[in-house]
Amino acid sequence: MDKAAPRPTSIRRQLLMFLASAAVMMVAFSALATFWVALHLANSAYDRGLLDPAFDIADNVSLGASGAHVDLPEKALEALTYDQVDKVIFQVRSRENAIIDGVPDLPSPPEFAAGEHLFFDGNYRGEKIRVAALRSPSGIVVQVGETLNKRNRLIEEILVAELLATTLVALASIALAWFGLTRGLVPVERLRRELLTRTPGDLRSLTENPSPVEIAPVINAFNQLLDHLRDAKTMQQRFLANAAHQLRTPLAGLQMHLELLLRQELSADVRMEIERMHGATVRASRLATQLLALANAESAPQAGREHEIVDLLTLASVSANDWAPRAFDLKIDLGFALERAVIVGDSLLLAELVDNLIDNALRYTPAGGRVTVTTGCSDGVPYLSVVDTGPGIPLTERGKVLERFYRITGTPGEGSGLGLAIVREVAERHGAELEIEDCNEDGGTCVRVRFPKKAATQAPPG
Amino acid sequence: MRALVVEDDALLAEGLTTVLSRAGHTVVRATTGRHADVLLANEEFALVVLDIGLPDIDGFELLRRLRQRRSTANVLVLTARDAVEDRIHGLDLGADDYLTKPFSVSEFEARVRAMLRRGLAPETPWSVAGMTVDVAAKRVRVNNRNIDLTPREWALLDLFLTHPGRVISKDHIAERIFTFDEPLSPNAIEVHVSRLRTKIEPVGSHLRTVRGFGYLWDVEDG
Repeated sequence: MDKAAPRPTSIRRQLLMFLASAAVMMVAFSALATFWVALHLANSAYDRGLLDPAFDIADNVSLGASGAHVDLPEKALEALTYDQVDKVIFQVRSRENAIIDGVPDLPSPPEFAAGEHLFFDGNYRGEKIRVAALRSPSGIVVQVGETLNKRNRLIEEILVAELLATTLVALASIALAWFGLTRGLVPVERLRRELLTRTPGDLRSLTENPSPVEIAPVINAFNQLLDHLRDAKTMQQRFLANAAHQLRTPLAGLQMHLELLLRQELSADVRMEIERMHGATVRASRLATQLLALANAESAPQAGREHEIVDLLTLASVSANDWAPRAFDLKIDLGFALERAVIVGDSLLLAELVDNLIDNALRYTPAGGRVTVTTGCSDGVPYLSVVDTGPGIPLTERGKVLERFYRITGTPGEGSGLGLAIVREVAERHGAELEIEDCNEDGGTCVRVRFPKKAATQAPPG
Repeated sequence: MRALVVEDDALLAEGLTTVLSRAGHTVVRATTGRHADVLLANEEFALVVLDIGLPDIDGFELLRRLRQRRSTANVLVLTARDAVEDRIHGLDLGADDYLTKPFSVSEFEARVRAMLRRGLAPETPWSVAGMTVDVAAKRVRVNNRNIDLTPREWALLDLFLTHPGRVISKDHIAERIFTFDEPLSPNAIEVHVSRLRTKIEPVGSHLRTVRGFGYLWDVEDG
C-alpha cells in the first residue's frame, strides 16, 4: 500500500488557520458575554414597566368588610395591562393567599417580606414569562407578568449588532493578515522567480538586497552552496580546459611527425596505416579544441568579455581564413554572403559558434557540395546562417543533434558529436534562437542563429 | 639561415627542427623561455619559431623583450589557444605570423617561406610551385615560359605569394591595389584574378576562389 504524498505544508495556510480559530472563539465568547449583558439590560429596562402597573393595582386595592377587592374600573385595568407586543396578565392575592382578581393560574411568588418587590421568571400556560411581584404593607400580593417578546427582540437586536461588528472585525483581521502574509511572502516569490530565470550554468550568488531577516539566512545559506558549486565547477572546467589545452601540443607534434613520415617512400599498406593514424590525430586535436570550447562556453561569464560589440561579418571573415583550405581539400565550395550584423556578446565564444557550424556543415556535405555562410540583419534581427547541401537532418533528430556526443546513426564522417552542442551552448548564452531547417532548394540543412534585436540597438552607429 | 625553435614539447620541437633543417636552415633549440631569452639576447637569428605556452617565461614576454632589443628576426608564433585575442596580442607585440596548433607541415613550410621572402632583398628570384618569380624584374616564368603580366596582375600575384595559405578578401585586395588609379570594384578584381589565373596555368590552380569572399593561394599540392 503506498500512501498518498503528504500535502505540502503552507506557512500561509497554517497561520491563517490559527488566526481563523482565534477569530471564531473571539466571536463566540463575545456573543455569550453580550447575551448576558443584553439580558440584564432588557430586564432592567422592562422590569420597571412591569412594576409600575403592579404598584397602581396595589394602590387601588381597598379592604372592605366583604374582603379586599380591586377598586379599578375594567377600562383602567385594561389600560394598565395594555401592551402592543406582549401579553400582560396580572393577579392579586389576599394576605391569606386567596386570589382576589386577575388570572387564576399564575404561579405563586416566592416568599418575601411586606413592602418589598421582586422579579422572577416563570411559565404561564406553556409560555415563558417575566413576573414582577410586590407585597403591599397590608399583605396584598400583586403580580404582573408578561411574555418575553419585547425583551427577546431587544436582546436579539443587541446580539445581531454585536455579532455583525465582531464578525466584521474578525473578517477584516483575517483579510489583513492574508494581505500582510502575501506582502511578507513577496521576497520568497522574488527568490523563486530569480531562481527560475537562471540558466543551468548560472551559479552567481543570489541578490541579497533588503531581504527580511526571516529569509536572509536562507539566501545566505543558498549562496554558500552556490559558492561551493561554483568553485567545484570552475575547477572542473579549468581542468577540462587545461587537459584539452595540454593535449593539443603533443598532438601537434604527433601530427607533424606523421606528415613527415608520409613524405618518405613507403609501401602502400604502411602508407595507408600512417594515413589512418594521421586522420585519427587530426580528429583527436579537433576534439580537444571542441572540449576546450565547450568548457569555455559553460564557464562563468568573464568580466568584460560578455559585452563586447561584435560584428558577425568580422567573425565570419576570420572563419573564412580558417576553413577555406579544408573546404578545398574536401572539394566543397565554401561561400560567403556577408552583411554587417552587430551584436553584443563574447567574441571568443561566438567565434566557436561560427567555427563549429562551418565545421559541421563541411563534415556532412559530400564532395562537390556547397556550404554558404550568411550574416546580416532581417527586420533588425542580426543573424548568422550556415546552409549546406548535405543529407539534411531528419525532423525527429533535430532536437537530439544538439545533445553532446550525439551523432545520427549511419552518418558518414567522423564527427565528435560536440559541434552543435557547442553552438547551442553559445547561442543560449547570448539569448539567441537556434533554428534548424530544411533548405528549400537542394535539400541539405540550414542552421540559423537569430540574435536578440535589442543587442543591435546598443551598438554604436556606423 | 639561422633559426631558433622555442618549444617545450620535445616531439613537436623535433618535428619543427627536422622541417627547418630540411629547408636548409641551421636550427638551434630552446625548451625554456629563460634559455631562449639568453640565446636571443646574444645571437642573431633570421627566424624564431616561438611557442606561447612556455613553462617559465611566457612567449609574449619573450617577444616583447626581443622587439625591445630592436631585433629584426622574423617571428612565427605558435599557440595552442584559438583565442582571437591571442593572435591580435601576438601581432601587436611584433610577431610576423602565427599558427594555431595543430598545423600541417606544408602550412608551416609555406608560412616560413613567405615570411622569409617578405624580408628578402627583392633582387633574388625565387620559385614556387614550378613557377619562378623575379621580383626585381617583375618577371614570371612558368615551365620555362615567360609570362607577361600587367602591373595589376603583378601586384595581385605578389600579394598572393606573400600570403600563402591565407584567404585574402576582395576588400583587402581593393585596399592594397587601388593606388594604381581608382579603387577596384569587386567585379574588376574578379576579372583580373581570372586573367592572372589563366596566364600562369597550370600553376593557376593554386589560386583558389572563396565564393563571395576572396581568394587563397593554396599551399597544399593537388
